[in-house]
Amino acid sequence: MNAPLITIENLKKRFDIRMGAFGEKAASVHALDDFTADIIEGETFSLVGESGCGKSTTGFCILNLQRPSGGRVIYKGTDLATLDEDGMRPFRRDLQIVFQDPYSTLNPRMTIGEALSEPILFHGLATKAELPARLTRLLADVGLSQRFASRYPHELSGGQRQRVAIARALACEPRFIVCDEAISALDVSVQAQILNLLLDLQEKYKLTYLFIAHDLAVVRHISDRVGVMYLGRLAELAPAQALFATPLHPYTRALLSAVPEANPHAAQTRQRLQGEVPSPLNPPSGCRFHTRCPLARDTCRATVPPLREVAPGHRVACHAVTSATTTNWEPVSA
Amino acid sequence: MSSVTTQIEDERPSSLWRDAWKRLRRNKLALTGLGVIAVLVIFAAFGPWLTPYDFLSQNLDARNLAPSLSHPFGTDDLGRDVASRVIYGARTAFLVAVLVTAIALAIGVLLGAIAGFYGGTFDKVLMWVTDMTMSVPQLLLVVVINASLKQPITLWMEARYLATMNPIWRNGAIIDFALVFGSMAIISWPPYARLVRAQVLSIRNRPYVTAARALGLTNRLILMRYVLPNAMGALIVAVSAGLGTAMVLESAFSFLGVGVNPPTPSWGNMISDGLRVWTNYPHLLVAPAAVLAVVTVAFNFLGDGLNDALNPKGQK
Amino acid sequence: MTALLDIKGLTIDIARDTGPARVVDGIDLVVNEGESLGIVGESGCGKSLTMLSLVGLLPNRIKATGGTAQFGGADLLKMSPRELRKLRGAEIGFIFQDPMTSLNPVMRIGDQIAEALIYQTGMAKPAALTRAGELLELVGIPSPRDRLMSYPHELSGGMRQRVMIAIGLAGSPRLLIADEPTTALDVTIQAQIVDLVRELKDRLNMAVVWITHDLALIAGLADRIAVLYAGTVVEDAPVSTIFEKPSHPYTRGLLGSLPTLTDQPMSRLPSIGGTPPEPGRRPPGCPFAPRCALAIAACSAAVPRLTAVPGSDPRHRVACIVTTGQSEAAA
Repeated sequence: MNAPLITIENLKKRFDIRMGAFGEKAASVHALDDFTADIIEGETFSLVGESGCGKSTTGFCILNLQRPSGGRVIYKGTDLATLDEDGMRPFRRDLQIVFQDPYSTLNPRMTIGEALSEPILFHGLATKAELPARLTRLLADVGLSQRFASRYPHELSGGQRQRVAIARALACEPRFIVCDEAISALDVSVQAQILNLLLDLQEKYKLTYLFIAHDLAVVRHISDRVGVMYLGRLAELAPAQALFATPLHPYTRALLSAVPEANPHAAQTRQRLQGEVPSPLNPPSGCRFHTRCPLARDTCRATVPPLREVAPGHRVACHAVTSATTTNWEPVSA
Repeated sequence: MSSVTTQIEDERPSSLWRDAWKRLRRNKLALTGLGVIAVLVIFAAFGPWLTPYDFLSQNLDARNLAPSLSHPFGTDDLGRDVASRVIYGARTAFLVAVLVTAIALAIGVLLGAIAGFYGGTFDKVLMWVTDMTMSVPQLLLVVVINASLKQPITLWMEARYLATMNPIWRNGAIIDFALVFGSMAIISWPPYARLVRAQVLSIRNRPYVTAARALGLTNRLILMRYVLPNAMGALIVAVSAGLGTAMVLESAFSFLGVGVNPPTPSWGNMISDGLRVWTNYPHLLVAPAAVLAVVTVAFNFLGDGLNDALNPKGQK
Repeated sequence: MTALLDIKGLTIDIARDTGPARVVDGIDLVVNEGESLGIVGESGCGKSLTMLSLVGLLPNRIKATGGTAQFGGADLLKMSPRELRKLRGAEIGFIFQDPMTSLNPVMRIGDQIAEALIYQTGMAKPAALTRAGELLELVGIPSPRDRLMSYPHELSGGMRQRVMIAIGLAGSPRLLIADEPTTALDVTIQAQIVDLVRELKDRLNMAVVWITHDLALIAGLADRIAVLYAGTVVEDAPVSTIFEKPSHPYTRGLLGSLPTLTDQPMSRLPSIGGTPPEPGRRPPGCPFAPRCALAIAACSAAVPRLTAVPGSDPRHRVACIVTTGQSEAAA
């Protein structure tokens, strides 16, 4: 196993909602609470969960694109969470991001060539003379011909734009890329192309990915390790294989059983979660999942379950799960 | 590498500006407006060489003549050629409109961009200032500025004249223009500041700006290359409308006697003069009023056309 | 089985500044009584426009320019806007993708449903509100009477989509068209909505057309699937046939490129190269030919017609001259 590339300790993000003429704090949204994990060099670490679970916030806070409210993000011995924009600049090259929406992620007034040249020239990664060759290689890396350099984003299809967004991240010669729902908005056939591209690039450039997605089949396909999040907290964190073979947290199980299968004869006896995700403005006490959990009892409502290691590398935050094989509580009938 | 060679046609890449121009070219009304404005700009710029008469030269033998071949718009009560004065009035109107808009735009873009991009206390203060400026009736503000500043400036200039004997200090038109420009710029910049601030606020949260931050680019670079160019469309539409408004404002102020004063011709003071004698000599009122109306409508057509051309989402 | 809706040769054009661009190019499609039909395709394939054209809801500048659509003995494409308005809701219900923008934010939920009922059935306001409460109960909204007084922003995304379904069902339609109704929802909520629509279809004995880009989702939902590509139906077959014996290279490609919960992690997915053609830039012949691994010269010569697949289910039809063996017959 490689060494951790980024160590995240108790990362928190709170959004204050201010109202009134003088901006009094009216309420706060706990978008992310006590996120602790290592991201290992060369791996694909995925975060899954439903909207509002804090998976994208985690990515943004790690890159300090949103300022964390607490906790530490250690990269190369420096705590990124304490740095301001100027302090972050030397690290930005190494830590890149690809966004979900390929339509809004490129500046509509810049050609593809201009968009890609910007980081190269800004960080001094090539001279003006070397630039054309560098651009051609970059575009080739993402499967585009060099003729795209003179195009504007609105002339490209969604898949082509996402390739450009990936090329822009690559232009910095990074070590770590946050893929924030990077393939979610794409059509099925294009999704597969981009997924393959990400795998190829990881191999070629020894990249580390933080892959944020809600599509579990995609996550299973691409990940080494997976963290399942619910309302700002990690519910379960495990090697991908273990997570999909033996999901332990009741939420992970429900999430997996809600994934539609491309098989018309698949058994339709699925476990259905009742209700919807509560508002992060006023999250439930104790275990945040207790309002929808079939196993919930008084302990769950009272105390926050710690993220415990129940098998090597397999951590679960659930009072009911104490070992990797058994769930010792029976469902409580309503 | 699972490279996907994606075919792409070898044609000229179409930039957003070029597309907008293409759309504008198909809009007949906007083109008409643009044409009218172009003609007026030419007259305003080359007026002195195009007009058959000097706008100041009086001919007391030819007073209040009706329109004829030699005087297309007739002559006024001092026998001056009305057509020449209308053309010179265009000069006044464009000079005021362009300078006022330029000053207002410079202040508005700078303050609005800083407020929108950095937020904080500066933003709050700026919003208070714009709110206050916009809540005072424009005319009142201009009258107050003119009334309180004209006297001291005139006295100061008279003193400069006595000290230097340079006739430039006796040119009253300079004071008129400076006060008109200044007071109009003061009432005109807040809307630009608010527009730019609103644009910047919405653009700075677009993913491509976040992406630029993630690349490590500096705030200045992000503002200049990512945020402002994308606010340009809305700004151009506002400027086109603003130029028209500034012309009307200048005429209104001159009409009321707080703007450009005779003998410098302005459509406003010509309308004011014409109004007094319109029952006898309607052409003295109709000529400047009609030209003002045509130009205002032209700017509106152009503004609407630019809006459609630069924000084409409405039609699809 | 009798056909409820029979679309023949439907064409739809977008008016562009450069002239009309064809987005739907001769679609033939049948929906039978009480059937659940899945229409699958990628964005821009014309799947939504096809259905919108039937009820006169096409956006500006987009027009149905040819073909017929028989529904209950009349041609929908020849109906006046007035007749279509009567038909919408009463005979054909619609559920849209985004439940937030499809509901009027300043109107109470109960009033919105009642309005649809009053318009369609002419019932009085108190009766309509009572019926609205029943509809909310039907779509599984807890304490439906209280919810009648709620505004849309007071409901969660899943609840709003249930309200949209209630409105779609208000006139007891014979055909319910669901246009990607779960795309904006989370996976656990999606599962709830899918269960709901499936149950309602059986209970109310209506036909459902489910428009989606999600092949996995449609697998457990549809009796029959039509696969669209670039404005044409390329394959039309019972759901098990589509998943077990897909015939068209595009269908095969789509299924192959889908990551599943059982595939080999980190393997490269077989993907279809290139991108679908833009409207108005359709290649001659088979629109899929430029991206197709099996394409031969004859593919670009003529647009292939939907024909029965030899040795497969009699309802299995595909528009491909290679996989149906027509190319050998021609040679």
